[in-house]
This record gives sequence, structure tokens and C-alpha cells, in this order.
Amino acid sequence: MPLINPSTKLSNVIMEEPTIVALLNRFGIALGVGDKTVAQACAEHQIDPHFFTTLLNTFSNEEYFPEHTLSKFDTRLIVDYMSKTNAYYQMAQLPTIERHFDLLITRSAGEKNNLELIRQFFLEVKTELLERINHDRQEWFPQLLNGSQTPQNGSDNGDDSIETKIDDLLHMFVIHLNGKYDLNLGQAVLLTIFALRNDIKMNNRIRNKMLKPACHAPV
Amino acid sequence: MALGLKQLMHDALGIDAHIVNAPTSPLLDSADLFLCDAQTFVSSLDFFLPRKEKTLVISHGRHARGGAPHHINPYGKPAEIVDEINRFIHKEVLPKQNSATLSQREIDVLRLVVAGRTSKEIAEALHISVNTVMTHRKNISSKLGIKSVSGLSFYALMNGLTTDDTSAS
Repeated sequence: MPLINPSTKLSNVIMEEPTIVALLNRFGIALGVGDKTVAQACAEHQIDPHFFTTLLNTFSNEEYFPEHTLSKFDTRLIVDYMSKTNAYYQMAQLPTIERHFDLLITRSAGEKNNLELIRQFFLEVKTELLERINHDRQEWFPQLLNGSQTPQNGSDNGDDSIETKIDDLLHMFVIHLNGKYDLNLGQAVLLTIFALRNDIKMNNRIRNKMLKPACHAPV
Repeated sequence: MALGLKQLMHDALGIDAHIVNAPTSPLLDSADLFLCDAQTFVSSLDFFLPRKEKTLVISHGRHARGGAPHHINPYGKPAEIVDEINRFIHKEVLPKQNSATLSQREIDVLRLVVAGRTSKEIAEALHISVNTVMTHRKNISSKLGIKSVSGLSFYALMNGLTTDDTSAS
């Protein structure tokens, strides 16, 4: 989609890229946006318009990652956004997937399929993501904010990263799911996992390219 | 020559080729293809005829192929040998490989990966090089769409490929 700027109408952004609603939720921007521009919505919710516009563009365009621009933003602003993102995973996206998954298993009971094993793998990925969120909240983000400069260990894009495991989970559905199951609920689970994967992928770019280097940068 | 071909197919293409020197057991059915000489082919027609499409006979002489549809002449020109092998693999072997189906060797590697063995340990256990282990791991992930060890563990569980010392992490 065309680059978003502060004068772009928010409704046009949503109509062009509906998944961006997940980002708006994190800032308390509800649907029913009228003809407000990005700048007007930011003023109403006390959001830095340049930071928000950069996030909207990063979220809606995989190729867009203005490292130079993002590195100018205050670490507190980024940490606050990442905390909201983590809360969104924990309070909204993971419970939604789990709810759909539980319903899928219940509705597909009695059928011979391998859904239960796939759900167990999802639960393992969920536990790992929650551990990372906990570590962010209790250790890494406070260290970033108080400038204690602790390097962040662990990869967010290696073969055993959460991003890779969510990809594996999607492939289990797409390639290896067998037996009968409720088709509509199967689609719902798949799409919610895709949404989580895309969100994490986008935010890992911010983690890896902005927050990790920030650990080493002077305060 | 058969040994060299077997190794090359294994390392470069992840194809599990079996050299057959004598009438064989049903266990060999897990192989992607069979390599044999004309005499073995003719003396084991019961085995080879149902599997003739995936058998490559190594024999010299126009009439020494025993009715096998695919053969190479070990004394032929190198370019002709390579062409024939290419034709055979691309016509008979690769199209029949289910992309989500692992060869026996890949299954051996998978079992050890999910048992928590390192590439070096797997290489030692299977008497192959670490590079070959890495090639197998790459092919496994490419075929299954699964890269993480825990994802592979669940795949192994789903497909009954775990052993006593293997469990999903």
C-alpha cells in the first residue's frame, strides 16, 4: 500500500490493510474512526504521530524498515510499544487461538486426526512466548529503561526461535494435518496463527534492529 | 562404480539408493532406487520386475541389460553416463518422491535429531560425515516445512518415528 503519513485518513489505512487493527488496538484506537486522519487520532490518544506513522508503515509494508528514523526515537517510546505488544499477545492473540483450538478439538471429537498433537505443540510455543514476555517485563525492559545496558542473549530468528516454531506450527496444519475435522474452525485456527506469526515477525524486526542495538548504545 | 553413484546420489540429492548384489529382502523396499548389474537383475526377476522403473542396471554392451528399462554403460563416455543418470532420476525417482516423505536415511537422522544428538554425534552413529548430516537435516526441513527440533519431535511423534530414547522436548 502507499506510504502512510500523518495526514492519511485512518479509515483508508484500515480498508487497505485490515490487519492493522491489531496495532490500533494496542494504542486504544477503536473502530468507528470517522474521517479522522492519523495525526488527529494521535492527538486524541496522546501518541507521538511520527512514531505511530513509522509503526503503521512498518506494519503494513514488509519492505519498509527505516532503521535510521527508528533509531532516533526514545528507547522509552519503543519499550512502551513493545510492552503493549506483549500484552496484546498475552491477553488477546494467544487466548483467541487457544479458544478456537479448544473448540476445534471439541467439534472434531471422535474423528481420527492428529489435532491433539498439533495443539500440544502450540501449547509449547505459547509457553515459550509467555516466558519471553515475562523476561522482557521483569528483566530486559527495566534494564533498557534504566540504562544498565545488559546485552540481550538468544536469537529471535534462528532455527529454534519462536518465529520459526510458529512457522513450523503453520506447516503442521498446512502440510501434515490428517483426518477429519471441522473445516470452518480449522480455518479460524489457521488464520489466527497466521496473524500472530505476521505480528511477531514484524515486531522481531523492531526487537532485533532497534532494541538489541540499543543495549550497547550510549544512554 | 555403483558405490560411487550411491554416495553421490545420497550426498547431492538425498536419494537413498540400494546396491543389490543378490536376491533381496522386502526390507529394501524403503529405498528410493536400486542399483545392480545385469546378472543380478536377470537372476532376481521376481523382485526387480515390479520395481523395474526404479532400478538402474550398470552393464556394458547393448544386450546385457536383461530387459531393464534403465541402464548405464560404465565404459561409456562420461557425458553420456551423466545424461542417462540425470534422465533416470528426473523421470523416475524425483517425481515419485512425495515431498513430505522422508527417505530411510533421513528418518535415521530425524530419530537421532529428536533424541537430542548433535550433528557430530549423528555423523559418528551413522558413519557419515558431519556435512552429510547437515545436508540430510536441510532436506528434512525442506521436505517437512519444519525447522525447529521441538517441531521435528512432534512430527516424529505424529508419525510413530520415535524410539525409546526419543521424546518430544
